[in-house]
Amino acid sequence: MRLEKLPADYAKRLSALECPAFTTTPWVAGKPLDQRRVAIVSSAGLTVRGDRVFRGRDADYRTIPSTTQANDLLCSHISINFDRNGFQEDWNVVFPLDRLNELAVQGRIGSVAATHYSFMGATDPVQMVEGAVDVAGRLKADHVDAVLLTSV
Amino acid sequence: MSALGHHLEEAGIATVAIALIRPQAENTRPPRALWVPFELGRPIGPPSDPAFQRRVILGALGMLVEGGGPVRIADFPDDDPREGPDRNWQAPPSIRPNPAPRAGAGAALAETVEAELRALAPAYAASCTRRERSTVGLSGLAPAACGEYLAVWLRGERPASPVGDMSPGLALRFALDDLKAYALEAALSPGSRPSSRQLGDWLWKDTALGAAVQALRRDFLAGDDDRLKQLAFFFVPALRVPPAG
Repeated sequence: MRLEKLPADYAKRLSALECPAFTTTPWVAGKPLDQRRVAIVSSAGLTVRGDRVFRGRDADYRTIPSTTQANDLLCSHISINFDRNGFQEDWNVVFPLDRLNELAVQGRIGSVAATHYSFMGATDPVQMVEGAVDVAGRLKADHVDAVLLTSV
Repeated sequence: MSALGHHLEEAGIATVAIALIRPQAENTRPPRALWVPFELGRPIGPPSDPAFQRRVILGALGMLVEGGGPVRIADFPDDDPREGPDRNWQAPPSIRPNPAPRAGAGAALAETVEAELRALAPAYAASCTRRERSTVGLSGLAPAACGEYLAVWLRGERPASPVGDMSPGLALRFALDDLKAYALEAALSPGSRPSSRQLGDWLWKDTALGAAVQALRRDFLAGDDDRLKQLAFFFVPALRVPPAG
């Protein structure tokens, strides 16, 4: 987002949102991209139709199988201050599963994870630690070694 | 989002975040982030533009095999080509309340909204068929039922929740989300490429639904029920709240 395009006070509010501070700076190197298994982890409050929608600032997460169809993905993020028209027209704007599948077919990435994940981004990050650790275990079990993090 | 990256990377999984607000990424100091200049809600950029989207994704994933970290933030160079308006886009039928209600909500507005929702039904159905998809479904109610529920609130009643495991307020919030999606999806006419601003201008300036949501917001904020006051903050985007609202 080009913050200069927003009203100054609104841009200032977005810039000043409290962010967690960490004492470590982890960095995992790895294989070339065409050998990586890639998963999407989104903070857009995405849920598969029929699953429990995010309510308020739920700190847990939802699973999104790679077999999910576009018609079955909903966005239940609590914030109303971001565009939803893009997602309504094309789910890849938020959840680029079609693009990842194409890149895998083209051999640009190794493969696509069996399962992807979504959190509710407006939640206090401290409360999401437990879920993040749980997701990390699931990703490892799926042999994922590359995660594309998308927010809204 | 950048915080999630930190935790996953701590667990041994390489991550790259697509960041929309650069100062937030700078403050969180994730392992890797690609800042993109697109509007909030569009981390991968323009809808229906696979080539552009692939460039964004490869720009981000490419950082996984580059050095320079920990804490590396790069900038995607190009703006969203869908930011500008589509002059050929035509809005679907809507009913602008005339005169716009200045205070409170009412039965007349409820009737107008329900009539508008019925008028939008063919465009919504055609849009769903064409796209093989809808994002309506958060409340679990059909669009017409969402409209009926909104109408009850507009008439000043305080109904029971029509959704078994949701409070009346939560059901209203999701019903409004569904109705906004219903109208905006109806506005995705074939062959057009409207910008989010065009769609937002139509919804909030030219529809009875937009007027009704604004009226309900004003009504709740002016009332004495603290739960409804809190709820009202999740009705209208900050940039669409009238200056006096």
